[in-house]
Amino acid sequence: MSAKKLLMGNEAFAHAALEAGVRVVAGYPGTPSSELIETIAKLHAEGKAHGVHVEWSTNEKAALELLAGASYAGARCLFTCKQVGLNVASDALMSLNYVGIKGGLVLFVADDPGPISSQTEQDTRRFAAFAKVPVLDPSTPEEGFAMTKAAFELSERFHTPVIVRPTTRINHASTFFEVSDETSARKIPEEGFERNPKWVIFPKRAFEAHGEINDRLQQMATLFSEEEPYVGFNAIKTRVNTYAVLHTEVDSENKTGARSDTGTGASGIQPALGIVAGGISAAYAHEALRLIQKRLQKNATVKPSESNLATSTNNASQLPPYKFLQIGTPYPFPEKLVASFVEGLTDVLVLEELDYILEDELFKLCGKRGISLRIHGKLDGSVKDRGENTVDSILTSLAKFIGLDEALVAPSVAGSSALDASHLPVRPPVLCPGCPHRGSFYAVKKALGKTPAVLCGDIGCYTLGNAMPLDAVDTCLCMGAGITMAQGFSVAEPQKKTVAFVGDSTFFASGLPGVVNAVYNGHNITLCVLDNATTAMTGSQPHPGTGQTLMGPQNKPVSIEAVLKACGVECVVHANPLNFAEAKQAAQTALDYQGVSAILFESPCIQLKKPDAPVRVDSAKCTGCKRCITEIGCPALVFNPSAGKRGQAGVDPSLCNGCGLCTQLCTFDALVVNKGGEGASHV
Amino acid sequence: MFNVLLAGVGGQGTVLAAKVLAQAAQSKGWKVRTAETIGMAQRGGTVLSHVRMGNQGEEVYSPLISAGEAQLIIAFEPAEAARAFSYAAPGATVITAKSSVQPVTAALSGGSYSAETVLAELKTAVEEMQGTLLVVEDESLCAQMKTRKVLNTLLLAYATANSALPLSLEELKEALAACVKPAFVDMNIAAVDLVAE
Repeated sequence: MSAKKLLMGNEAFAHAALEAGVRVVAGYPGTPSSELIETIAKLHAEGKAHGVHVEWSTNEKAALELLAGASYAGARCLFTCKQVGLNVASDALMSLNYVGIKGGLVLFVADDPGPISSQTEQDTRRFAAFAKVPVLDPSTPEEGFAMTKAAFELSERFHTPVIVRPTTRINHASTFFEVSDETSARKIPEEGFERNPKWVIFPKRAFEAHGEINDRLQQMATLFSEEEPYVGFNAIKTRVNTYAVLHTEVDSENKTGARSDTGTGASGIQPALGIVAGGISAAYAHEALRLIQKRLQKNATVKPSESNLATSTNNASQLPPYKFLQIGTPYPFPEKLVASFVEGLTDVLVLEELDYILEDELFKLCGKRGISLRIHGKLDGSVKDRGENTVDSILTSLAKFIGLDEALVAPSVAGSSALDASHLPVRPPVLCPGCPHRGSFYAVKKALGKTPAVLCGDIGCYTLGNAMPLDAVDTCLCMGAGITMAQGFSVAEPQKKTVAFVGDSTFFASGLPGVVNAVYNGHNITLCVLDNATTAMTGSQPHPGTGQTLMGPQNKPVSIEAVLKACGVECVVHANPLNFAEAKQAAQTALDYQGVSAILFESPCIQLKKPDAPVRVDSAKCTGCKRCITEIGCPALVFNPSAGKRGQAGVDPSLCNGCGLCTQLCTFDALVVNKGGEGASHV
Repeated sequence: MFNVLLAGVGGQGTVLAAKVLAQAAQSKGWKVRTAETIGMAQRGGTVLSHVRMGNQGEEVYSPLISAGEAQLIIAFEPAEAARAFSYAAPGATVITAKSSVQPVTAALSGGSYSAETVLAELKTAVEEMQGTLLVVEDESLCAQMKTRKVLNTLLLAYATANSALPLSLEELKEALAACVKPAFVDMNIAAVDLVAE
């Protein structure tokens, strides 16, 4: 052990898995999950994670299937992806749960409420229930650390894959952790993989296995109600008569999960209100309750509100008694524990993000046991039905639930009326200055001219090609969909050109079957592979086209051109997207071709390249026509209205990295590449 | 609880600044949590880093700061200072770099936003809630340091030197030394000294 380190949630979970002896780690990048594998790769490269194999697989399905094999041999395995990545791996997961595993197999699936960087707000807890796989849901990075370790034990004990599902605010929150300096992967058991009919799924075996799954889910539900460490993830806190002692935070805390001791305060008022929270909403709720208390104290002199529950005590300046249950094991639902929690309660408020999983489970519980309880949450509008919760949104829901005057607990944002934020400049995400994708989109747009066309986009930085002025992405659905969707357009509207833009990593992840489909069925599409030699959006991860591996060795890159040709694509052209004339010519050739054609736009991601000197504006030549700005929308190009006769273009030297695309568009040669010049801001 | 909100534009260095503050808080034995903007929003968008310190020994639950609860806002850009203002607690200190980063949308629409106007509005708003607005001459300071890469350290030093953080300059330097790459320690310490002078 060393001194405590500041770790981001995802870094901490990597340490937890290594400390649990994980041997094989595989996944596909996706925000907010990517840093976990990167951390393991870094620790491996530093020689601190002994015996581990870590890789970025081609896609999530490949990763999970690889891990299934390693697990059957007895290795502890970790899979990582973002929520939509589990869709890709779902074929493997559904069957794998029936077949079972040997070495502990944990799926780390990061959900993204908001969504902040995703195309859906799907809830992996719901997916877990659909797949009949247990899921753990941390409310803090520390809990996620403990859950990751516990998940391996649970997996091996019940021969089941186990999902750990943090959300963005846990993945990307940091706090201090004490972690082992070095770790060793648990050894593969001597017998290794043992042949057995159970590894081969057949309908008859599936029927038997389904029964085993149902049995083990029941056993796990009991475990989550009774046994450490699992029951500790479902902490009950009870606040009884707090009217006497204003400053008491929480009167009793019951972490054993046994029936909570509701204790008796001086006047022994038993709580009628319950709060049930999952994930980060539990942390927000603790914070909101503290804020409510603070603000009530501050406003204690203010006339008490006329609200229902609080006035029953004639004192609206204090919180009424309540019971608080955090559920860290949403599926299988810890029914026994929750049944004892709701005893004596009249109302429960459920706080969770994404779907209403806990709320559904409470309804089931009450129906099953004939419990009379009013359940408030997403379904009755007490809590927002989508997007992220915040301390503020939860505070509002809690205040209403408790019956407090909202004005008494609202944040005091003095002076906010004086500041109107609506006229502040908006900053939508844009392609970086010097991003080669800008040139690719521009060249294709120019080559198309006025030809009617549908431009299919895909998942990656290049989705940003839809922004003005490029305006070059008409669709974006899911990984690899652009290639196949283009074929649908070409069938439905053959009079239009159909173009599919795909990134290099996405091409390998799920673009290939679409290419084969196009060749096989003879579709007329032009495929533009935006090859920037990395998986850029998620933070520059390598992929098959780079040949770089996380284990160290540089393997032979898988050539996109060779793959396309092997698939039967006959028209394949190359271009440097930052050379406008060359790129436009290549686009023209490919677009004129009848059948499947492909343009490989090849230029490395600007994040991986040493910047060149910034472009210079020749003030003697710039007429202020703004063509450079309105054609390509580079963030480094600004307009300086006070320069020249009618204003002039300017280059922000702290942003420009000298890609030179703009210099090729200027009608007056007023933009000049600064060959050999010094970029003052690039140190 | 001491809440610091760092507001900027992707790539300006808020993440490292948050790390440095977390390190300093940890050294004082406080509980601390930070949260970052990572992902698509980083590409030229608004980024916020939240730092929450339990400076009275209390537990920190949420990694995110609530509306009206930040005692200190450190903005790397005037418009981002104004945008983050709803986080400010009554009496908070707002520190902002003076020079603006114009969004690409401003160049397209032909009009840049006026940092002077935004700063004037911000001044009125801060005064109304009995707070303090400190505008940092970042251009001249960065010019003296010969790099804009120390902007984050300059702003942290400015906050510390003006007693807007529960830290001493020495504590800030120690945290910097623990957080930045060894090759850049001297440069960052020099940036603190420049502000402290």
